[in-house]
Amino acid sequence: MRSLRIGFLLGMRQIQRASLWTNILIVFVMALTFLNLIAVSGVLVGLITGAERAVRAESLGDIIITERDDQNNILETESIIRQIKTYPEIETYAVRYIGAGRLEANYKERRDLSGERDIAQVTVTGIDPIQEDTMSHLSDNMLEGEYLDPNEEGYILIGYYYLQEASDKFGDIFDSLSNIKPGVTVRMTVGDISKEFIVKGIVQSKVDEVSLNTYITEKEFRRLFGRIDRNADRITIRVADNVSEDSVKATLIESGLGQYAKIQTFEEGKPKFITDIKNTMNLLGTFIGSIGIIVASITIFIIIFINALSRRSQIGILKGIGIERKAIEIAYVLQAAFYALAGSACGALLTYGFLLGYFERNPIKFPFSDGILVAPPDETFLRFLVLFAVTLIAGFLPAWMIVRQNTLNSILGRK
Amino acid sequence: MSIINATNIHRRFGEGELEAHILKGIDFSAEAGEFVAIMGKSGAGKSTLMYQLSVLDDPSEGEIIIDNVDVLKLSEHERTRFRLNTLGYIFQNYALVPDLTAEENVFLPLLMRGRDWKEAKEIARAMIDEVGLNDKYTNLPAELSGGEQQRVSVARAMAGKPKILFADEPTANLDSVHSAQIIDLITEFNKKLNQTIVMVTHEREYAMGCDRIIHMEDGVIIDIEKLR
Repeated sequence: MRSLRIGFLLGMRQIQRASLWTNILIVFVMALTFLNLIAVSGVLVGLITGAERAVRAESLGDIIITERDDQNNILETESIIRQIKTYPEIETYAVRYIGAGRLEANYKERRDLSGERDIAQVTVTGIDPIQEDTMSHLSDNMLEGEYLDPNEEGYILIGYYYLQEASDKFGDIFDSLSNIKPGVTVRMTVGDISKEFIVKGIVQSKVDEVSLNTYITEKEFRRLFGRIDRNADRITIRVADNVSEDSVKATLIESGLGQYAKIQTFEEGKPKFITDIKNTMNLLGTFIGSIGIIVASITIFIIIFINALSRRSQIGILKGIGIERKAIEIAYVLQAAFYALAGSACGALLTYGFLLGYFERNPIKFPFSDGILVAPPDETFLRFLVLFAVTLIAGFLPAWMIVRQNTLNSILGRK
Repeated sequence: MSIINATNIHRRFGEGELEAHILKGIDFSAEAGEFVAIMGKSGAGKSTLMYQLSVLDDPSEGEIIIDNVDVLKLSEHERTRFRLNTLGYIFQNYALVPDLTAEENVFLPLLMRGRDWKEAKEIARAMIDEVGLNDKYTNLPAELSGGEQQRVSVARAMAGKPKILFADEPTANLDSVHSAQIIDLITEFNKKLNQTIVMVTHEREYAMGCDRIIHMEDGVIIDIEKLR
């Protein structure tokens, strides 16, 4: 306790009397280290979180209802919808019919019948345009042309990735169609049934499920796919603000809907690879951040070492007049602790006071997502603890090295 | 009864051909309350002897008993404790902690002894008053003159009322006026607190207030001059 008291006094006074600029510089280095530790992994994870958010907003919603494992479609879709409408916790929903078809373009201009046809195997989604737009704001993703009108028939929206120009950019990994633009006619074939559609618009989003999709009205879908039972493939639900998805899911299951369909929250229903990539990014960020920690610990070591070395005679005198080694070591550890705390506080202030909001308003535009900065307080605190512990050790070691030297040699400045 | 008893003290530095034999079998003792001066030319070994006696250095050979404690058998930690509780120091270069104010320099060893903050501060201020710096409690060493710094150093050494005070050329860096003030202070404390004082000095004038002057030359005691 005595040593702690004296160590505290010595440490505080050393910080107090040190040059203001030196203190600012060290705190700045520590703040950068903190940011490196938090922001690097935060941005990497944020890329995936951005993608995840987009998937939630534009595709899956907060709760996803799909067919049971032993069924092909959601059973009793209409009665499920009737029930959903009665819950005030549910803000909006969309019903989707999903199938696969063959889309052909440029068949009217085709002269050489033995030549290759312009065909793409596509996902076809039947939607209620108004309901879908309320749920996923699909109309916001129009790249060209116009959004579907529920009162019109014979129109289709085509995902950007099915266009030849997109296919070129992506290395031809998807089937694609050339010369697709609003107004051209395409032919959709499902089994033996074919139907012509006029391209009403091109949709593009960073969510693959939107860009790699074609949309027609649900009525036409049912006719084309022969779905007379009106059983859908997916119902996505957006819950009201401040309502827990888990509680809504529980309510839906309690009301007996579980017997007709599988009900999952977004966290349960999102593709597993998202979580896997997120964990990988986190690991990568931690690795890069760890290098930052090592650099910071070496910096602190050098600062404290030079500080202690330049005060070697003073340390000798302190020992000479009876101040215990422990107290002197505590003084230097306290300095390191101060720099770590002050640097981390500045870093945290910058992260939570500015960077998070800034990246929220100005996400980093990546081809596959709008990256944000992710810094959950519990993870930040854990990383801070690691930084703090490493800094303390980096502060203690040089002090220990200098303090253990012979007292008289230290006083007289002898080697 | 001797409070310091050193027998056959040798101190060598280096090895082989480079070995320097600084103290060559010195016997030294001091009675409780005695004021002893050690004098000699530069290189005579007086400071080296004082470092051995004050438990700051280990002799190459010999035995040192202080206040009935065989100090050479103490561990590093025990020596630090022993220095804190039994010995006081005044160094030639004042040896104040530059980051601490005058009063903090004085109460630092008191805190280490377990005094509480308020009590240590009161004692420190009283000691600073005694050395005549009552308006300088919160001054940093850099804001004090050499004479004032040495007075703070005296206050620090005396605040814990150590049984033995070691002063290593306390007036070496001071002018004659300040030197006289420091010697007066040390002498006054010696009388008032009945402390044993061992002082290394070059100047005979300042050793005249002592009980005994030990003259050294080339690592041995060549003469002991009793003044009282």
